[in-house]
Amino acid sequence: MNDRQGSDREPEPKVDAMAIVGTLLAGPLCWGGIGWLADWLTDRATPLFLPIGILLGLGGSIYLVWRRLPKH
Amino acid sequence: MSANAHVLAAEDGDGGLFTPGGPGFAPPTTDIFFPPPIVEFGPFAISKYTVLLALTVVVVLGFWFATTSKMKLVPSRWQSVAEMGYLFIRDQVARPTIGKQGDRYVPLLITLFFMILVMNLWGVVPLVGQLPVTANTAVPIVLALIVYVFWNVVGIRKQGGWRYFRDILFMPGVPWPFYIILTPIEVISTLIVRPVTHAVRLFANMFAGHLLLATFAAAGFYMFNPGAPDALLGAVSVVFSGFAFLGFFAFTLLEIVIMSLQAFVFVLLTAVYIGGAVEPAH
Repeated sequence: MNDRQGSDREPEPKVDAMAIVGTLLAGPLCWGGIGWLADWLTDRATPLFLPIGILLGLGGSIYLVWRRLPKH
Repeated sequence: MSANAHVLAAEDGDGGLFTPGGPGFAPPTTDIFFPPPIVEFGPFAISKYTVLLALTVVVVLGFWFATTSKMKLVPSRWQSVAEMGYLFIRDQVARPTIGKQGDRYVPLLITLFFMILVMNLWGVVPLVGQLPVTANTAVPIVLALIVYVFWNVVGIRKQGGWRYFRDILFMPGVPWPFYIILTPIEVISTLIVRPVTHAVRLFANMFAGHLLLATFAAAGFYMFNPGAPDALLGAVSVVFSGFAFLGFFAFTLLEIVIMSLQAFVFVLLTAVYIGGAVEPAH
């Protein structure tokens, strides 16, 4: 805990672990919600856009997490 | 264990464990987080939370005033405690996460850390406290909102509004058709999920920990029944009660660690968010 420590050290890329969980949740929620809305608007008996939306959102989330990870 | 206690406590009487007919174990409910208002005026009220919050301000202000108003080059014992607290936040939180510009935000981080630490610790202070202020949803929500507004303002001022939001919404180096899918996810995860988890993490930890302690204490009192009709079972109940209180003390120690840790985590995440706003995304 001396004065010099940290002052001339570049900040390491910090990954907020909860941000990963947040992103993984946000994708399916967002696009699943849009898909659900599309199902509801088109009056479908069996959901079609809901699963498509969830998968799309999950794919987007995983891509985002992968892109944001610091590369060594 | 509670099912067993219900079976053993059969009919009439009002004793604890092993007394037939006892009322059975009533675990503490969330009512313990809603203390009755002390003073009421119109739609407002002063409750235990308000009093403890005011006490927190007094304690934290008093600590920093007493330790830093007459600073000496060779620090006294209390001044060195304050300096250790300052250096801890500066060297372990601000500089590693924000970098060279981190020192500017140390006052905010220190205020947050010590306020949250004291508010959490009220949960284990006997008689006066026994209620963590942060177990009231309003407190972590307001703290997280302050931090949320703060890092967004910092980001806009440091990078300019357009560039700041472009970096959040449109991750650089991604083929443009992807933005149709990715931008809504970014909006939700950065601007909505992030402050929510920031507040919920602190609240839920304090809420659950306090309920756990209350359950152990209540179980200890319920099971302590040396006057049970059967003398042998009465002795057994004392042993059971001893285990419950042992658990209570062990979890109190654990709770103190968690209280400090959650104050630290809240401040660390605040620094991470500010750091992300100060430096453009890589």
